[in-house]
Amino acid sequence: MNKLIERITQTREVFTVVFMFVLFLGTGIVNPGFLAPDNILLCLNGSVIYILLAIGISFVITTGDIDVSIGATLGLTAAVCATMIRDGSSLLAASATALLIGAIIGLINGLGVTKLRIPAIIMTLGVNGVVRGSIYVYTEGKWVENLPAAFKRYGQITLAGFVNLFLLVTVLIVIGVYLYIKKANKGKYLAAIGDNMCGATLIGIPVDRTRILAFILCGIFAAFAGIIFASKIGFVTPTAGNGYEMKAIAACVLGGVSLTGGVGSVIGAMFGAIIMSSISRILVFLQFSSNWDNTITGILLIIIVVADALIQKHLKEKARRERLAARDLFVAEKTCEEVGGVFQ
Amino acid sequence: MGSNKKDEVKIPAISIKRISKSFASNVVLREINLHVFEGDVVALIGGNGAGKSTLMKILMGIYQPDAGEIFMSGKRVSLSSPSAALAQGIYLVPQEPMLFPNMTVEENIVLGFKEKRSQLHERLKALIENLGWDLKLDRKAESLSIAEQQLVEILRGLLRNSRILILDEPTSALTFHEIESLFRIVTDLHKNGISIFYITHRLTEVFDIATRVVILRDGQITMEGAVEEFNQEMLIQGLLPANYESAVKKERECTDVECSGVKPLLDIKNFSGYGFSDINLEVYPGEILGMAGVVGSGRTEFAVTVFGKDIVKSGKVFLGGEDITGKKCSCIIEKGLNYVPEDRHLNGIYSISDVEANITSGVLGNLNKFFVDRKKVNELTDQYINNFRIKVTGRDQAIGSLSGGNQQKVVLGKTLAANPKVVILDEPTRGIDAGARGDVYRIINELRAQGVAILLISSDIEEVVELSDRVVTMYQGRINHTFKGESITVDNLMAASFGVYKKEVTA
Repeated sequence: MNKLIERITQTREVFTVVFMFVLFLGTGIVNPGFLAPDNILLCLNGSVIYILLAIGISFVITTGDIDVSIGATLGLTAAVCATMIRDGSSLLAASATALLIGAIIGLINGLGVTKLRIPAIIMTLGVNGVVRGSIYVYTEGKWVENLPAAFKRYGQITLAGFVNLFLLVTVLIVIGVYLYIKKANKGKYLAAIGDNMCGATLIGIPVDRTRILAFILCGIFAAFAGIIFASKIGFVTPTAGNGYEMKAIAACVLGGVSLTGGVGSVIGAMFGAIIMSSISRILVFLQFSSNWDNTITGILLIIIVVADALIQKHLKEKARRERLAARDLFVAEKTCEEVGGVFQ
Repeated sequence: MGSNKKDEVKIPAISIKRISKSFASNVVLREINLHVFEGDVVALIGGNGAGKSTLMKILMGIYQPDAGEIFMSGKRVSLSSPSAALAQGIYLVPQEPMLFPNMTVEENIVLGFKEKRSQLHERLKALIENLGWDLKLDRKAESLSIAEQQLVEILRGLLRNSRILILDEPTSALTFHEIESLFRIVTDLHKNGISIFYITHRLTEVFDIATRVVILRDGQITMEGAVEEFNQEMLIQGLLPANYESAVKKERECTDVECSGVKPLLDIKNFSGYGFSDINLEVYPGEILGMAGVVGSGRTEFAVTVFGKDIVKSGKVFLGGEDITGKKCSCIIEKGLNYVPEDRHLNGIYSISDVEANITSGVLGNLNKFFVDRKKVNELTDQYINNFRIKVTGRDQAIGSLSGGNQQKVVLGKTLAANPKVVILDEPTRGIDAGARGDVYRIINELRAQGVAILLISSDIEEVVELSDRVVTMYQGRINHTFKGESITVDNLMAASFGVYKKEVTA
């Protein structure tokens, strides 16, 4: 039993991929139409926004923090980007502005959490409110519509006839980030901080700076998702991105990124995001109402987090007992010569 | 080791000059001066709160000193952060290894370096080979034993070319064989000219590996010198309180409760759990049984296990003849045993509630029919505020705003409001001022007079001597000695707590 638990904790991504295949195959058995190549492609293309959000937030979660403001960040950056393009700005200028806004929101989150020592959930929840409110102020509560066709067409560009441009770019980003984290000297800083913050301080890792960087990256990825959102959907409402943070967090957790920090990879987060974004489609194919989508996401999130917490607690307790037992063994071995000698 | 005569010729590897440090009004270090040369193994000894860890944390750049300077190889250095200390070649191996459990051994060691991974890998392999250690680099850190984790910590320090290693109680969680290999490593490092600070509670180890001894007490160095100049008695002397005279043992009426035919209220038989083994003790009504021992000797683990908060491995606990082994806390409290925890901030108080709510929180169940009986609550609160001389502005003052001593009195009040027959007090006067300490002692003595059986756990040996009728000392998870009457002296208890007590030959 213990072996099994260890095995699962060590190969979290594998577990996620297997879960994805089981889920897709299961749906395919009930309704073979689900496994049609076109449908699978739709699932993958539809997951791009969630994948980007999940990668971004995985940085923050890996350091042991959380960011619930990414849904609002996506909404604001999508609105700004769409408005600028509608009003004739170049794609480059609009994208750069959006990414900058994302970075600034991340910076504010990071400073609040590290310098003002506000718990991440509270800080980002507050920022979430502020940013969501500023969307309404910025758009005056109206939809941003009538985007140029050229901008909306980016979402339809395909390579080799079937690979969507956004999907390709996203997968390349995932691979790039994965390799950086795996190979670069500083790649493991995020995980180190989430794993053992005191230990990270002791070996000279700039803990606060790295945590702020994680929030900034998270904001930038949310902004990137916002740009793609505007292009794919073609219009932006003031509620755009509402609730996406739960899906992104659930995607990370499902992909093996531990909410306690230190564990997980962007590859896992990507597969988690694919599963999460496919749930509504799966529900349709299983002839359930897709209104269940959020409910199921929430339930999955809770189940996985509870299971994860139980495993972590079990491992921690085991380590503590081993430590105390080692102390005991020491005495047993030494009893004859030391304690015995004293009594003579 | 003939390299010790160098004081005039060589420049110390590290010089600590007039370092002082206070936390709020609490002075932890007073003008510490210390010089350590290449290859020195300095055993740093001192009781709890003597300032060892604070001094080491200053060297590591975790704390900043209030005054004083640090020189390395003659040059003044500023250790403003851990990374600055690392850059100066100082590395602290903490008592609990600070590894990243989810990373491999290699990742743990090379994290934080600027060199190329491949270069680091080669250097690391060469280093391990050089040391002759057997350590697989691709293992996950969480699968390592504590000893192996310590090896990883030491490797981290060595790979950084650290010249000064600080080992904080490295043997406290090791088995006998692991300690042997650790000693071999320390000897190797010593031969390679690396200076080592070795913090320990085990005095026997000092003579095994140290070349110099430094004893800290109340933030000052009380003794210092080459290890050859010391013996165990001298170490104990250096640890004893400042104005302590050997013969001050207060007179007390003979309360030989053991022989009077009274049954013990708390009777513990062959009790084993995580962190302690084979504990046998009895506490009689109207008796204070002291339990002395250094931090990490298993006292608190023992107490919380008796109190039902951890798993019992074997043995029995009888409360007034009734078996309460392995019962739940709430049930044990109801049967008349209560525990005042070591860390009141963590476990003892509801810090944002008022004094009244805190005192009565343990007995709400008895005070109510359905609604809380205000009158009784007020009476009870006033009774404790007056009896314990708790300094408050009113029953409704928030407990967080009280001083440490008054907080502790409230915690005691809460415990005693439940009218326990047996009380376990874990470090009841830690961090409180002298006046409040006197009050707490008075409360404890009153309880004793009322016939409550008290188990007093404390690392403050003077406190144990002053209050206890009998004393057991705990050493590495076991009771190693029992003291009665005149044999309860600070000397004896100190020696026994450090595991070096030798029974005097009684003439």
